[in-house]
Amino acid sequence: MNCFAGIDIGSTAIKVTLIDEDKNIIATRVTSTGSHFRKNSIAALHGLLADNGLTVDDLAYMVSTGYGRKLLKEADESVSEITANAIGALEAGRKYGEIRTIINIGGQDTKAIQIDSSGTVTNFAMNDKCAAGTGKFLDVTARNLEIELEELGDYHFNLETAPLPINSTCVVFAESEIIGLLADGHGKEEIVAGIHYSIAKRTIRLAKRIGLEGLVYFDGGPALNKGLVASMEDELGKKLVIPEFPQLTTALGASVLAYEAYLDEMETA
Amino acid sequence: MRNKISNYLNNGDLKRFRFWLQLSLFIFFVYGGYIAINIGDSLPTFSCTYVDGKPGTCFLVPLQHRMVTTPEKLFSYAGTAILTGLFYFTLWFLVFNKAWCGYACPLGAVQDWITALRKKIGMPYATYSWGQFKLLKKIKYILLLLLIFIPMGIGSGIFSHDMGVPFCMICPARTILPIFSGDFSQLTIDFSSKTKMIMTSLGMLITGIFLVGAFVKKRFFCFFCPMSALHYLLSKPAFLKLKKDGSKCTKCGDCYSVCDMQIKEIADNITDRNILQDDCIMCFKCVAACPEDGALEVDFMGQPIFEATVQGYIKRMEKANKNG
Amino acid sequence: MDNQLQAEKKNVPFNRTHQAIEAERMLRRIKDGFQDNPVAMDYFYDLYEQVYCKGESLHKDEKVIGTMCVQVPDELIYAAGGIPVRLCNGFYTDDQVGAEFMPAKSCSLVKATLGMLDKRSTLSFVDKVENIILPATCDQKRKAGSMISEMGYEVYNMEVPPVKESEEARLYWQRSVHNFAVSLKKITGQKITKANLKEALAKVAAAQKAYRTLHNLRKMAPSIFLGKDAFMVTNAYFFDKIENWTEAVNKLNAELEQRITEKITAAQRRAPRLLFTGSPAIFPNLKLPVLIEESGGVIVADETCSSSRMLYDMVAVDEYNTENMVASIADNYLKPCTCPIFTKNDDRKRKLINMARDFAVDGVVYQAFSGCQVYQMEHSSIAKALKAEGAPMLFVESDYSPDDMGQLSTRIEAFIESLKAKRRRKR
Repeated sequence: MNCFAGIDIGSTAIKVTLIDEDKNIIATRVTSTGSHFRKNSIAALHGLLADNGLTVDDLAYMVSTGYGRKLLKEADESVSEITANAIGALEAGRKYGEIRTIINIGGQDTKAIQIDSSGTVTNFAMNDKCAAGTGKFLDVTARNLEIELEELGDYHFNLETAPLPINSTCVVFAESEIIGLLADGHGKEEIVAGIHYSIAKRTIRLAKRIGLEGLVYFDGGPALNKGLVASMEDELGKKLVIPEFPQLTTALGASVLAYEAYLDEMETA
Repeated sequence: MRNKISNYLNNGDLKRFRFWLQLSLFIFFVYGGYIAINIGDSLPTFSCTYVDGKPGTCFLVPLQHRMVTTPEKLFSYAGTAILTGLFYFTLWFLVFNKAWCGYACPLGAVQDWITALRKKIGMPYATYSWGQFKLLKKIKYILLLLLIFIPMGIGSGIFSHDMGVPFCMICPARTILPIFSGDFSQLTIDFSSKTKMIMTSLGMLITGIFLVGAFVKKRFFCFFCPMSALHYLLSKPAFLKLKKDGSKCTKCGDCYSVCDMQIKEIADNITDRNILQDDCIMCFKCVAACPEDGALEVDFMGQPIFEATVQGYIKRMEKANKNG
Repeated sequence: MDNQLQAEKKNVPFNRTHQAIEAERMLRRIKDGFQDNPVAMDYFYDLYEQVYCKGESLHKDEKVIGTMCVQVPDELIYAAGGIPVRLCNGFYTDDQVGAEFMPAKSCSLVKATLGMLDKRSTLSFVDKVENIILPATCDQKRKAGSMISEMGYEVYNMEVPPVKESEEARLYWQRSVHNFAVSLKKITGQKITKANLKEALAKVAAAQKAYRTLHNLRKMAPSIFLGKDAFMVTNAYFFDKIENWTEAVNKLNAELEQRITEKITAAQRRAPRLLFTGSPAIFPNLKLPVLIEESGGVIVADETCSSSRMLYDMVAVDEYNTENMVASIADNYLKPCTCPIFTKNDDRKRKLINMARDFAVDGVVYQAFSGCQVYQMEHSSIAKALKAEGAPMLFVESDYSPDDMGQLSTRIEAFIESLKAKRRRKR
């Protein structure tokens, strides 16, 4: 039985997706990148295959993406995460309608991608020079408030007053600002909501550069944070499409591209 | 085969072609009559009536003569004569458009030869400032109106018959072209009447201005020529056309640099296809100096006969640098 | 002082200086990172090695006059007996030196040029430059003038009108060029005459003819010449002896013609064809063009002042006397100039649209340096105009620092992938 793999090698996490010939997801895995991403990527892939009764021989094609994509020699091909994300969003978003815009907040970057009906990228904008507005901001916030990342959503919705405006544009300086606000007696809920709105404003501003037409799909790890999603929808003025496993969209896209590349090869052979 | 011909034409040495054509046509228009050639009196160029060997006459002469009439007669049989003349004039004109100025006009040739003399002694040419240009370019229309209405004034008794052919009396072609058959008789002031004295003095003055002007400025007289104004009014349907493809124009201004008439539109206008201006003498130096394939071209009845090409440009510039 | 000596003074041989290492690295990448480089390109690779890695001087005993910006009329400098050398610098090493006294958000090119001028020891290709011609173009170049004077150079400020369409601007620039021609005598000691100006015009025209041929050869599909080499060729025009450069380009053209008959291509048949424009790519900061071609694209055309804008527009002279020749030259350096410092960018839009059509490009890459206000403010109107023509445009902001390779490669690859996908869908 042929299966196709997409590996998204991010700066914090490695995501692997396996699909079959009908483009159905067989299995997925998320592990941390660590310091040896190549070793860890292979381990994650093999582990995933084994856990599903498959071997490397069943793997017909593999596409790597993410910042470490070129160095994974075991992959058949590499594509940029923008293209992979676009295809993944098109696939995963099909049941919601026609996706036209994708917003991705990653661990260390933010992307806004505009696609046409076939998933071809027509425009994109990225912020990858500064951690403000990325998952990093959420990490720092959770750490300073001594809560878990997963709890951020709850804290957001437990808020009874208005979110606090966070002034710092730099994640590092925001740390000191948060500590100061806590010392002033502000509650964690206010701060959490404030951080969420800060990220949302920044992200929507980036996305407006490429136009926010049609259905907007939101993915990347931080999309699991329901509080962040609420503030994004508030800033955007409409509902976002949130997939079930947002941090896997790019890897899914890579696996779909693997499948299509395999078909192409078979055709021309 | 077609490509070969167009390549040959596009790489052509326009300077040399023009020199020889101008010389031949000058000889025709100044001496053609000596071998009994007569091509009528509706010519769209200065085939001057005062030149003994003329093969035909400049249309402005019969036009001025026929306009010596009253308004009533104008709208009856006198008008017919004018319209007939105008009809033949238009036929002659439509074939070559304003290239009559750049290649056929004997007065134009004389100016180009005076320019060649200036070049030989290494003197730079003069130009009009933009303000001067805008003001002075109206003069040709004023002269055209005067040469129509003064004869009418004579017909209605306002002016004396001595005003006769008012434009010819001040036209430098009358005084200068006969010199080429050894006839200096036009270089006089006619004291027989006050009107004639004033007009011929004016004529001598303008001859003087013409000689100095043509020496310092390329094609000096053409800027003021009423024939040029009349040409432009009829130029729309002509067969020979100067066309521009603005999308290919890089605004390099090379065409403007070489234009004798200081026409800005040739360089700055990138929207109009038909780029002929009222001052243009259709010498096509602009097309020869354009380094962009297809930006400028000369069309005859819709077919391009001379196009700007970078190859032609390079060939001509290299030759000019060597010989200039 | 001889730059070999300078380097030895610090006990560092020239080819081990930071600058030389940076040059070598990029040169390796350009040479060895690609297959089947044309043989005629060896002249250029060797030239860069000579000048930037070994520090040999090219113009010994000549009066070298530094120029900044493409509006300076080279013909006049040649006629006056000088050698014009374009000083615009592409080194990160020098950018770091300039960063010591320039504002943080400045254009890398200006920082690097100032850094180079301040250091002096790396002016390997010019021996000593004493006179620098600086046209008043963008803010940063303009203000650099007084800083350069303070470093001890003689700066000649050329007045450039900020608008080029009006008759006033044309006359202003003609006056400016006329004054420059007169001042050149004081700088070089030689007066401009009809004879030496004709010779200068012929020299530059020969170089432009060679360039135009190369430019047109790049229209071939599939492509026979890579953009990275095109930049190497045109960047060499900055400092090489013009006769040698012209001869080398003519040899290159002959070899490329040969390649056409032998059906040798420089890139894959279906490689996306790109037009590169914006802030100039200057060796060794060719990282963006090289990255594009390493990612499978091919740059078939460019519109930058380190390449086509320098060499494309040719002068037409009607009468060969000094005054009229200088006027024709002046017009030619102003009217077609597509530098974004002029208030309207219509000519640049038209040129880009024309090139996109003539070269059958699939997309356009528009580079703007961080801190470059003119290119940054302009890019969205250019993108719109190109989109209407069916040419998608990628805007990339970059500087000289080597640490943005990952970010650049993501964007470039995504763009090239979208061009390939677009073509696939069309099928």
